[in-house]
Amino acid sequence: MPAIDATHGGTAGTLKRAREFASKNAIMLVLLALVLVIGVINASFFSLSNIRNIFIISSVRIIIALGIGGILITGGTDLSAGRTVGLASVIAASLLQRPDYADRMYRNLPLLPVIAPIALAVLAGLLVGLVNGLVVAKLKVPPFIATLGSMVIVYGAASIYVDRPPRGAQPIGGLRADFTRIGSGYLGPNGDISIPYLVLIAAAIIICYWIMLNKTRLGKNIYAIGGNPRAAAVSGVNVSKNLILVYVIAGALYGLAGALLAARTGGATNNYGQMYELDAIAACVIGGVSTSGGIGKVGGMITGVLIFEVLNNGLVILGVNAYWQQVIKGVIIIAAVAVDIRKYLAKR
Amino acid sequence: MKKLSVALLAAIVLFASCSGTASSGKAKIGVTIYKFDDTFMSGVRRAIEANAAGKAELSIVDSQNQQPTQNDQIDTFLTQKVKALAINPVDRTAAGVIIEKAKAKNVPVVFFNREPLAEDMAKSDKVYYVGAKAEQSGTMQGEILAEYWKANPAADKNKDGKMQYIMLTGEPGHQDALLRTEYSIKALEAAGIAVDKLAEDTAMWNRVNGQEKMAAFLAKFGDKIEAVLCNNDDMALGAIEALKAAGYFDGKKYMPVVSVDATAPALDALEAGTLLGTVLNDADNQGKATFDLAFALAKGEDVTKAGWEITDGKYVWVPYQKVTKDNYKNFKK
Repeated sequence: MPAIDATHGGTAGTLKRAREFASKNAIMLVLLALVLVIGVINASFFSLSNIRNIFIISSVRIIIALGIGGILITGGTDLSAGRTVGLASVIAASLLQRPDYADRMYRNLPLLPVIAPIALAVLAGLLVGLVNGLVVAKLKVPPFIATLGSMVIVYGAASIYVDRPPRGAQPIGGLRADFTRIGSGYLGPNGDISIPYLVLIAAAIIICYWIMLNKTRLGKNIYAIGGNPRAAAVSGVNVSKNLILVYVIAGALYGLAGALLAARTGGATNNYGQMYELDAIAACVIGGVSTSGGIGKVGGMITGVLIFEVLNNGLVILGVNAYWQQVIKGVIIIAAVAVDIRKYLAKR
Repeated sequence: MKKLSVALLAAIVLFASCSGTASSGKAKIGVTIYKFDDTFMSGVRRAIEANAAGKAELSIVDSQNQQPTQNDQIDTFLTQKVKALAINPVDRTAAGVIIEKAKAKNVPVVFFNREPLAEDMAKSDKVYYVGAKAEQSGTMQGEILAEYWKANPAADKNKDGKMQYIMLTGEPGHQDALLRTEYSIKALEAAGIAVDKLAEDTAMWNRVNGQEKMAAFLAKFGDKIEAVLCNNDDMALGAIEALKAAGYFDGKKYMPVVSVDATAPALDALEAGTLLGTVLNDADNQGKATFDLAFALAKGEDVTKAGWEITDGKYVWVPYQKVTKDNYKNFKK
């Protein structure tokens, strides 16, 4: 951001600076306003346990949003994210059922180290990402269509995986405690004053992703491709290689998110993750990521997800009718982006 | 040209490998399921398939929760000259159109799991319905909770003589969700229990939402909550995870949670003592009755001899069953 030409002194200057600040940080202010309004109406929103809930729920969503965020910056999109989360969740869950659970999917499966099925789930996501990347970069299929196709394929695959005789499409339950602990455990003395593992995992991912976007050649290339793919190619960026990498990383993140979601809820079905891609895209856009590519920051994606989850949680706490929850969410998505987009319009 | 022919060939191979056996001379029955990933309906689907094995040629399709898709599928079935239709409608009010289509081709229809309106059912004499009385599942769920409440005076934590409860409902507007919600509370009231609703919200039938909404309610109401009622097992299991995270079920704190479906994970929760009770919607018998009726109709036989009691000339009611810690073992497969 270029420095604001300072017209120091006088109320006009202060006002101008305040306006500049508000426009630059509009999205943070939206979040703050939401939190305050909900909290004032119902104080239990501010309880430690509720704030903790919001962070736990956001952890999985942030991992998905980061994956999609990178793709959006390249000017692409990924509709297969939610279904990939679902596929990963059933893979991880099916391999981590308790040996004494009656409805085990693999009756004679030995006790695997917890990390192995999680790694498999990540690998499954990664493969979906690889296919998406290849189709987009090599076959030149527009990302919207490519991932629309893979969304349907992945859902079909997850359903075939789960729904087989004799048990049919029963939800996968009876998960091992050493796996679910990842989703429900925490560091700290107890209960409210603690840091959930999920939040720690999300924090680690956020740091890695931030470094990737801001400090590596890949990150620079992602912005370059999103800004102008032809210019990037001319200046020596291997566009298809970088594109494939972005989709692969995103896929791996969805895979991880799916495994974590199964651990958190203690089960999985083939419809886990349904529509999560739209929530993630909306969260990214709210957070200032441009769907036409080239623009977006990790901080914005995180804020976007938090706005979404504060809303989800807040509307429940306020006891808002289920239909009205939908209407309000839609209005806030549009309003938040309308406010945020001012900063780009002002530049012109 | 070459590319086109490759694509065509690929398409043909794909369809040939997916469509399975061709005509075999057996009675052909077209089956639509409103949505394949519905846990309960996939149980019904399996039961239909199992009962049809070796007797009839089934064609089962996924209507993907879209009534227009289902109507197209039914048109296709009718042009394929199926002998009977077994339809699990997406939208129960759309049954009238389906009945008229089938009547025009003189094909009998068995609707299942989602009951068409009575006025539509009256449009043809070759229309039947197999299902459960949804209100019964709510009633039984309420009765399980009422029994617990009466046997455990300590369940009334604030001693105000009223049950403070949370209700997690299915998709808003879904008939089962509405009836279960209404009749579970009616059963509690009928048992002489005063109730006080703390909150009611949808968790869209699923476990993730069940956990997230319950966590929010626990943050808001804490120990004021005395019972949790859920329209299905998946939401109850999600709620139980949230309760566990809040320190319930560790031996000191308990919360009665009741639901409907009796899925395998729910039976496991009954065994673990986290779920108080659930109600079995009998997928096996609904599937069997649906097939038996459709099969008899396809062969032109008398449906009253298909082995099911037919009420009002058109309806087969498959009863629900209560499942608790005392009898869950009978329902394990």
